[in-house]
Amino acid sequence: MNAALPMMKRPAAILSSALVGCLLLASCSSIPMPSFLHNPASEAVVYALGPREGFTSPLNGSLKPACPALVFENANFQLTSAHQQALNSLAQEMGKNKKARLLVAGYTAPNLPSDHARSLSERRSLAVRQRLIELGLEAAGVQTVGFGNDFSPSGPSSDVVVIYRQN
Amino acid sequence: MNARALLLILTLVVSHGTRAEAGVMERLRGLFSLGGGKSKTEEPKKTMPRIRIGAFTGGTGASAQQTLRQELLDSREFFVAGADEKADYLVEGTSSGGRVTGKLKDAKGKDLFQRSYAAPGLDENLKALTDDIIYTITGRPGLATSRIVFVSDVSGKRQIYICDAEGGEVHQVTHDKHAAVAPSLSPDSSMIAFTSYRTGFPIIRLLDLNVGWERGVTDTPGSSFGSAFSPDGTHLAAVMSFIGNPEIFVSDLNTNTAACVSDSVGAPSSPSWHPDGRQLVFSSDDGDGPKLYVVEVPQKEGESSRLFRWRTGYHFCTDPEWSPDGKHIAFTTRTSGEWTVAIKPYPNGGVRVVQAGGAEHPSWSPNGHFITYVLHGELFVHDLRSGNRRSILRGYGHISEPRWMR
Repeated sequence: MNAALPMMKRPAAILSSALVGCLLLASCSSIPMPSFLHNPASEAVVYALGPREGFTSPLNGSLKPACPALVFENANFQLTSAHQQALNSLAQEMGKNKKARLLVAGYTAPNLPSDHARSLSERRSLAVRQRLIELGLEAAGVQTVGFGNDFSPSGPSSDVVVIYRQN
Repeated sequence: MNARALLLILTLVVSHGTRAEAGVMERLRGLFSLGGGKSKTEEPKKTMPRIRIGAFTGGTGASAQQTLRQELLDSREFFVAGADEKADYLVEGTSSGGRVTGKLKDAKGKDLFQRSYAAPGLDENLKALTDDIIYTITGRPGLATSRIVFVSDVSGKRQIYICDAEGGEVHQVTHDKHAAVAPSLSPDSSMIAFTSYRTGFPIIRLLDLNVGWERGVTDTPGSSFGSAFSPDGTHLAAVMSFIGNPEIFVSDLNTNTAACVSDSVGAPSSPSWHPDGRQLVFSSDDGDGPKLYVVEVPQKEGESSRLFRWRTGYHFCTDPEWSPDGKHIAFTTRTSGEWTVAIKPYPNGGVRVVQAGGAEHPSWSPNGHFITYVLHGELFVHDLRSGNRRSILRGYGHISEPRWMR
């Protein structure tokens, strides 16, 4: 159709097509997503954190990790298959001890802006907690904390979530 | 402290699906005007008011006259006229034993104010007089008495410090067991809200700088951080995660109640108030890097509010702060792999890169003419009118999270 247009009008036609395209693209994020495209994970029940009394921070004592640290890459907070595998093993082990309590502590790399780092580390901790609850652990027995890059964990990477056993 | 007694959740005011987008044409305008360069909305240059420093009698009068002249020159708000030059304003007074009485008159000889200053030091009194002169003539707050709070690890642990706008008079204000971070000054500079790790967990506390008392604002499970005082000082916006998601909450400091104003599936952070106290801008990472969002703060219980993404044209935006006049937002972004401080007119306009090469965490001066930020652990002040920047504090450990008194 554009080829039929006189040469003088072609730039205007291209510009108007581009404008229409921009308008359509720009309005995409306002169009409601069809229900069949919804991510079921986003509709999962979110478990509020219960009272923190009795939980010890790694800053106040030497705590033993319940499993190897979960390493996150590229400032992500989504759980990878490696994370899922580690959490499955932990949940199986913890299933034998119903009264066991865990503190999920998030850390980030030192080069992130501080406040974003705190939020990202807490988000990671909450994602891990959510998965542990879905795997059968009691919500009241799992607390979270996000240290951002205010403190560094021991180990080769600081972009981690460490799950500490509580006494 | 019983967290449940302290924090009554009034209402989750923003429901799913209320994320509105800014108008399409507005976004297109923003898109086409991107690409750096100075904003078109910059104020035109105005002629500076001319002020003359008259006689200061008394034992410390000569010293007061000389110091006041320097303060007024440093403020860059006036042309300081010589003794026999014409001026729009005249300041004169007395000074004895460091005390100062200043009188400001206009060109017709009409008294604009007469005030006495009796702080222990001459310099302190003259800074207060300078700010009063600036406010009376320009209607904008002066910077001579303003303060900047920041975090430094110079003591071995991250603690909060305060200094003046020149990087002088540095004082350590927290001595927490583990760390104290993310400070925010109340509008009258009498209080600091900050994130304390004294319990081993991040909680928000208030420190009264005048009398020295401290109290907790949140001690809820999970993490609490990123506090920001409302313009009238009665509310505190902060991130809390006790509901199982990190969300932005607004706490009423008089009633100790809080309301959730965000609806995040990601990691929200760094709320900042519009000067009208009715909107907040914050950063939120929904999985593809932090972006900026604006939410209206409900004024009554049950009132619904709009939450929408505010597009800057950059993929990674954190630490937003509204300018004192509400017309711009400064934020940290990333250009060429390095942290960059940029400002953008609100709601629309072109982005102006203020400082690239590692600059982060911008905060506006009370008069909106300057921005402070950190660059490679040093504290900088950047003049937005001239584009000049200077390091005001270096060699003081690694400095982060500066916040200028609002």
